[in-house]
Amino acid sequence: MNQILHIAWREISRLQKRFGGGGSPLAVLLLLAALGFSAYTLRDSVSLGNGLYRVGLSGAAETFTDSRFTLVSLSPEQGAALLEQKAIDVWIDGAQVHSREDDRSQFAVKALKQVLEKQELLRIGSSYTYDSAFPLRVGINYLSAPATGAQAAPTARPEEVIIPSLTPPPAPFTQVLVALLYIMPITFISIFFTSSFMDEKVNRRLTILLSAPVTPFQIILGKMLPYATFALFTTALIAWLTRGEVLLALAIFAPTTLFIFAIYLMVPLFYRSFKDTTFIAMLVTTLTTAYLVFPAMFTNTNELAYISPLALAVKMYRSEPFGWREYLFPSVPMAAIFGFAMYAGTRLLNEEFLMGYKPLTRKLTDAIYLMMAHLQPYLSVPLWSLLTIPGIYMTQVVLLAFATNLPLRVMLGATLLGAALVEEIIKSVGIVVLARHDQVKSIRELLALAFLSALGFLVGEKLLLLISINLVSQVRVSGALFGAGLFLLIPLVAHFSFTSLVTILHVRVKLPYPLAIALGSVVHFFYNYYVMRGGLQ
Amino acid sequence: MNPFLAVVKKELWSVIRDRTILIAVLIQLFIASFSSGLLLGMLSLYDADTIMEYSGMAIKIGLVGPAGNPLETFMQQRKLQVIRFDSLNQAEAEFYKNTVNAIVVIPENIQNTAEIKLYLPNSDAVSSLIRMVVQEPLKQYENYLRAQNGIKVNYTDLKGKPSTSFEFIYSVLLPMLMFFPAFVAGSMTIDALTEEAESNTLQTLLSAPLTINAMIGAKIVAAVILSTLQCLTWLVLLWLNGIMVQRGGWILLLSVLVAGITSSAAALAAVLLKDRERSQFIYSLMLLAAAALSTLLDLSPIKTISRLAIGDAYTSGWNVAVFAVFLAGLYLLLTKMSRRLLR
Repeated sequence: MNQILHIAWREISRLQKRFGGGGSPLAVLLLLAALGFSAYTLRDSVSLGNGLYRVGLSGAAETFTDSRFTLVSLSPEQGAALLEQKAIDVWIDGAQVHSREDDRSQFAVKALKQVLEKQELLRIGSSYTYDSAFPLRVGINYLSAPATGAQAAPTARPEEVIIPSLTPPPAPFTQVLVALLYIMPITFISIFFTSSFMDEKVNRRLTILLSAPVTPFQIILGKMLPYATFALFTTALIAWLTRGEVLLALAIFAPTTLFIFAIYLMVPLFYRSFKDTTFIAMLVTTLTTAYLVFPAMFTNTNELAYISPLALAVKMYRSEPFGWREYLFPSVPMAAIFGFAMYAGTRLLNEEFLMGYKPLTRKLTDAIYLMMAHLQPYLSVPLWSLLTIPGIYMTQVVLLAFATNLPLRVMLGATLLGAALVEEIIKSVGIVVLARHDQVKSIRELLALAFLSALGFLVGEKLLLLISINLVSQVRVSGALFGAGLFLLIPLVAHFSFTSLVTILHVRVKLPYPLAIALGSVVHFFYNYYVMRGGLQ
Repeated sequence: MNPFLAVVKKELWSVIRDRTILIAVLIQLFIASFSSGLLLGMLSLYDADTIMEYSGMAIKIGLVGPAGNPLETFMQQRKLQVIRFDSLNQAEAEFYKNTVNAIVVIPENIQNTAEIKLYLPNSDAVSSLIRMVVQEPLKQYENYLRAQNGIKVNYTDLKGKPSTSFEFIYSVLLPMLMFFPAFVAGSMTIDALTEEAESNTLQTLLSAPLTINAMIGAKIVAAVILSTLQCLTWLVLLWLNGIMVQRGGWILLLSVLVAGITSSAAALAAVLLKDRERSQFIYSLMLLAAAALSTLLDLSPIKTISRLAIGDAYTSGWNVAVFAVFLAGLYLLLTKMSRRLLR
């Protein structure tokens, strides 16, 4: 513990030295000030379609401000002429709105409708009594399903009274944006964590540190400690500033913070040049942001939204309760990935691995070998399959997000194929790496390892399912992906045969690995497809 | 070979050899497909028009109340199926049999104000969907009641076409695809310069017949070439997808200029700070601040590119020229400061 604290302290003083002197603190302050000032001035105007439409006003038409519209005052003759020449999209003449038939003009009208509706409400609200300006009240009640035999079931929640024109339908847009506020500082801080490792790698101080009597685990934890503490502190601060519940926000975002740090820990381990880092960090940032934001958009409309902890934050801001299941569903995979990354980090933090310049694929296989080599293959292969499950699961979710913009029929097929591909790679890669280092040779050994890998995979899958069964079991796609609702034996045999196929094709038949994987995935895809067809009937 | 070209070639070659550029392209493809997927998802869940298009006919509303109420007509005009019942009990019985999805109760004798009831299923997903599709008929009914009270509301007859996709493509997707390569170009410039500085290879490089300005210039040119190639690819892909982009030439020129600006600004940061950690951080902050400030000053390249693409009548090459002037100024500043990298 002492050593961890010592390394943490050393890290803080390193940061102080780097950012303390010269003009950089001033520059940071100036830039932040400019950013804050602009954000404050623009806080209402940032919307989709900035500056897209031009509107001509004439007669008694009132002006309005909306960042999508640029307004020009003109005479009625000019208005008609400019509209005809397509120089303006819409012309408002008093209470009359003129437009053209083409798309651009019609889009402008639709956008204008929302703005003018709001403007009219303001006018009516200020010039008439409240009751005559807003004459309609709608009491909303929720009916829960009746108990069998009972007549009318009681309403589930207290009545909610709304005025239609003043109450937009529920959409978690703004809350998702607020929740996104939490992610940005965490990402920024973890980028510093990454650069700290890189810095020490470049000037070879990491080598000295590694020869000191501290374990790689202590080094990683010690270096992470100041950044993680700072990240949690900003989380608490944001929660406090946005009037969320501080403790709840910490509970929600702690696993997320660990997850993001885990991912960024991988960057300095694998990079070879500075450009690598930039690109890998960018990829990681976009993927994690997508993974976190995309599902949260569908809070309350789709149960799958809970794979993102942001969905919980959205719930928090709406003061809606959620249970342990909802909390554990996103948090356990994230914490598990953190644990896995820490383990990988301690295995990979050695000079030979860090300094080697090789193609990325070679570096990856080396890394996998380093992680597995210190255990017996019969133990490490199933463990590998078991422990990478959360990663597979997240990759498949990202795949699903990717596939949503394909046509529906293609989408399902592409997701299933992608999922099969990911699973086949994960199950076989450990065995293949061991074979390349001549630790596995005979077909018998390959078959035994393929069986163990399939077993580990299946156990992990079912464990994950145990957490999520209530939440996603209704969703057909995830059911097909994770093989819910089947006897354990059939998927075990299936996974075993796919993995054996891939490993034997590659190790014994000497087929290139990508080709072997492709073949295995296609077979796996047809199996998934068959299962899903069966599930649909 | 000309040493300037040699450096450009070396930079381009290192990016191609390490295949890192593939990651950058992958990121952009991901963001583009992801954000349009997101938009599609949002539309199908949060846009009443789109919901009605796909599942409108399937939504059945039970109505309890006096005949001839305008709300019934408004709902039918929105293509919702309305089924009348004599009492709430009857309607509830049908609701539990799943023959209607929601119930609206309108009281008798409505004078100036009305208090109606809406019964929804206790499932968040379904109830928010129904609330979205009945929003418009309810607003129309509200306007009807206002008219009864002698209040005239203007602009109620506006229709138009749903504009979200149009706004998304031209104000988010296109600028993102055209400027993300520029952002990457800046990061690349920092990496290329600080890597030489931190691993002390600058002196060696400069012992060739090459000035420091030519060396920095070559790195910037390499980064801009890469970003231009990406922009060109995106324009072709957009065109293949049937997305109309007008004045493609000006748009390409603008994205080249912006890539030049980001790379020069990045090089400036690298020259002054000399290490990657601080340069990248200051560079990202600079970009954010510049994006915000340019919006504030109504000089945003994002707005310019959207307007060029939709063929706005008041946007021309002059709006692009502004950025060329800015780039020239920035580059001049960079050449004046460049010797600091050696210190």
